[in-house]
Amino acid sequence: MTTQQKTGSETIGAAGPKSKMTLFKDDRAEDIGAIILTVLIVAVIVLLKMK
Amino acid sequence: MHNESHGFFRQLPSALPGLSLIIVTMVVIRLWVEPWMAHTKVFGMEKPLTDAFHLNYILLGILCGLLYRNVIFGGKMPEIFVDGFKLSRLMIKTGIIMLGSLYTFSAIVQLGSMAIFLIGGFVIMTIIMVLWLGKLFGLDRSMTAVLANALSICGVSAAVATSPAVEAKASHVAYAIATILGFGILTMFISPFIGHELGLTDLQYGAWIGTGILNSGQVLAAALAFNPNVAPGTAVSIAEIWNIMRVISIPFAVFAVTIWYWAGKEESDSSGKKKTLGTLLVEKFPVFVIGFMVMVFFTSMGAFGDVGIKGGPPASETIKTLRLVMQWIFGFGLVGLGGFIDFKELRQAGGTPLKLGLIVGTTKYVLALVVVYLIKDYLVSI
Repeated sequence: MTTQQKTGSETIGAAGPKSKMTLFKDDRAEDIGAIILTVLIVAVIVLLKMK
Repeated sequence: MHNESHGFFRQLPSALPGLSLIIVTMVVIRLWVEPWMAHTKVFGMEKPLTDAFHLNYILLGILCGLLYRNVIFGGKMPEIFVDGFKLSRLMIKTGIIMLGSLYTFSAIVQLGSMAIFLIGGFVIMTIIMVLWLGKLFGLDRSMTAVLANALSICGVSAAVATSPAVEAKASHVAYAIATILGFGILTMFISPFIGHELGLTDLQYGAWIGTGILNSGQVLAAALAFNPNVAPGTAVSIAEIWNIMRVISIPFAVFAVTIWYWAGKEESDSSGKKKTLGTLLVEKFPVFVIGFMVMVFFTSMGAFGDVGIKGGPPASETIKTLRLVMQWIFGFGLVGLGGFIDFKELRQAGGTPLKLGLIVGTTKYVLALVVVYLIKDYLVSI
C-alpha cells in the first residue's frame, strides 16, 4: 500500500501529521503565510521610517 | 483518520510558548553571549570562540535548538513547545523573501545566469549518479527515485514532493531524509571552517555551499555562519540565489525522475499515476519565490531607497532596518531548525541508502568546491 504524503508533512525521519514541521496545511499555505508576514513587516518598517 | 481541521490561526496561541523560547534564546545569544565571546580570553588567546571556532549567533542558535531537543528535553520536544518550533520554516521563508531587498534585477540576472549553469549541471549529474548507483547496489526503485531528488535538489522538500509520484513508502522517505539531513548537518558545521581555511571570498563560498549543500535551511545556516552580515555581495546573498535556482527546479526534477520510475514499470501498473509537467509546476512550484521576486522588483524600483552596493551610495535607513530584522528572523528560524534535529531519528539512516547518500553527497560537495575554484575568475560579484 502506498503512503500518500502531502507536501508540507516535511518530517525528520518520520511521516505523518504528528511530525509535520509546519503549523500550516501544506507547503503552499506556508509560502503564502510567509509572503503575508513579509508584507506586514515591510509595511511597518516603511511606515516607521517615513516619520 | 486524523483531524486536519486545525487551522493556522486556531493553532497560533499554542505556538506562543515555543515561540517565546526561541525568541528568548536568540535575544540572550545576541545581546549577551556574542558580546561576551568577542571580548573573552581563554588560555591567553584573544577571542578564541569567534576567531578559532568561528562561532556566531547562527551556529549558537542551531546548537541551542539541538541541545534543547536532544539533551535538555531528553530526545523529545515537550508538547508545549512543539507548535512554536513549527513556525521555524515560516520564519526562514519570510527571511528569504525579505532577502530580495539585497538585489536589483541586474544583479539577479548576473548571479542567476551563473547559478543556472552550476545548479543545472549538478542537479542532472546527481540524478544520473544516484540512478546508476541505485541500480548497481540493487536498491528498490522507489527508494532510488526519492534519493535521486533528495540528493540533487533541495533535500527534504524534494524527497516529500517526489514520494507520491513514485509510490514511495514512508520508510523510503524517512531513510532519504535521515541520510541527507545527517550529511547536511555535518557539512553545515564544517563548511565555514573549510571556507575560512581556504581563504574563500563570500562569492566563492556562497556559490560552493549553494551548490554542494543539500538542504535550504542548512545552506542558509552555513552561509550566515561564514559571514553573519546580510548585505549585497555577502555569502548569504550569493548562496540564496543558488538555493532559489535549485528550489525552482523541484517540479522539473520530480517530472524527470517520475518519467524514469514509470518507464521501468509495467504499462498496466501506471494508470493514473503519471502527471504532466504542467500539473507538477502548478502543484509543486515554491510560491514564496514569487514573493522574493516581487521584493527584488520593489528594490530595483528604489521603493526602499539605496541598496548600498559597493562603490555606490550607502544603504538607506529603511534597507538597514530591513537587514537588521532579517538577521533576527533568520536567527529565530535557525533555533527552530536546530530543535528539529533529532539524533535518534538520524540513526534510522543506514544500510545501502546511507552508503549511496554518503558517496553522492560527498562527491557533490567536493566537486562543487573544485568547480567553484576552477571557475573563480569567471564568477562575477554584485
